[in-house]
Amino acid sequence: MLNAGPAKKVCIYVGEDHKYHGQSLYAAILDFLFYRGISGASVVRGIAGFGADHHMHTIRIERLTENLPIKIEFVESAEKVEELLPKLHEMAGTGLIDVQDTFVVKPPSEGSHDAAPKGAAVALKREGKAKLMRVFIGENDKWHGKPLYKALVEAMRANDIAGATVYQGILGYGANRRIHKDTALHLSHDRPIMISVVDDEAKLRSFAKILEEMVQQGLVVMSDVDVIKYTHEIPPPEKKEARK
Amino acid sequence: MKLEGKATMLRIHFGEDDKWQGKPLYRAIVEKCRELDIAGATVFRGIEGYGASTLIRKPHHLLSFSHDAPVMVSVIDSDDKIRKLIPQLDAMVADGLIAISEVEVVRYVHQDGLRS
Repeated sequence: MLNAGPAKKVCIYVGEDHKYHGQSLYAAILDFLFYRGISGASVVRGIAGFGADHHMHTIRIERLTENLPIKIEFVESAEKVEELLPKLHEMAGTGLIDVQDTFVVKPPSEGSHDAAPKGAAVALKREGKAKLMRVFIGENDKWHGKPLYKALVEAMRANDIAGATVYQGILGYGANRRIHKDTALHLSHDRPIMISVVDDEAKLRSFAKILEEMVQQGLVVMSDVDVIKYTHEIPPPEKKEARK
Repeated sequence: MKLEGKATMLRIHFGEDDKWQGKPLYRAIVEKCRELDIAGATVFRGIEGYGASTLIRKPHHLLSFSHDAPVMVSVIDSDDKIRKLIPQLDAMVADGLIAISEVEVVRYVHQDGLRS
């Protein structure tokens, strides 16, 4: 929650075509801010600009309209900004981030949800004991207008959960006793969905608070698992620079 | 219905082609669960696998008209209810695997539990 008084204003400059794990970078940053409980953020698209690559991006010449500058801006308390910066730093890639001191004269009055856990460091999990969480919902369930399963995966990613997989069932029933089923022509859109997530217990427990807000109907269970192997490829730095 | 704290999860693995009294086994299992007032059951179709019969189960066509894909039914309820379900399933599943594990219910909400 943002209060009147000193605060920080953060601006992140990226290219419109920049990608983050296959998704548009600015959308990924916006999702991240949203699910981490930032009270508000705006994205503005520039009409011309140039950056580290020293290429002019402009809408004036058709050929150059690609990769227009995008600025993502938000105002938050110094602690919150401190907490989010490492991840933003990683996400922004070749982009620029600047933080300025600012003063909040009138805080926003509505719409902040305080669900984000504190200090979820970007700790990559290692082999050993972990928890497996399964979330059972319906394919039709919505959260703020978008499919709940999609919103949950985005929220999990924004909260640095190690990974999530969505499974679509072909038949089932659950908490609400309605039968979810897959018709012959695949026209039914209310199939059962299960999301399975593995991470350490502390992270999943703090994420459970967010689930409480998002899952209005369904079942969430947790069980013990042993992580045998968890690897991921770290993109080599030269590849990162080639990103446009 | 209430479900909280420790619960039991049952997973039944078999083939999509398997039948019980003329109807698909997975459907029969879901119906049996409902009949016994089990909290919920979900059927998942795998894309490839092998199992008790050692055959590679795999959909043959791209158009998903194929059969005999591996199927998994996942059922969660209190331990005593799951224990009651097992003998019934035992009679139905001729060729497959039934596994049981302990889970902890983090959240269970349904329509009447809806907050406004």
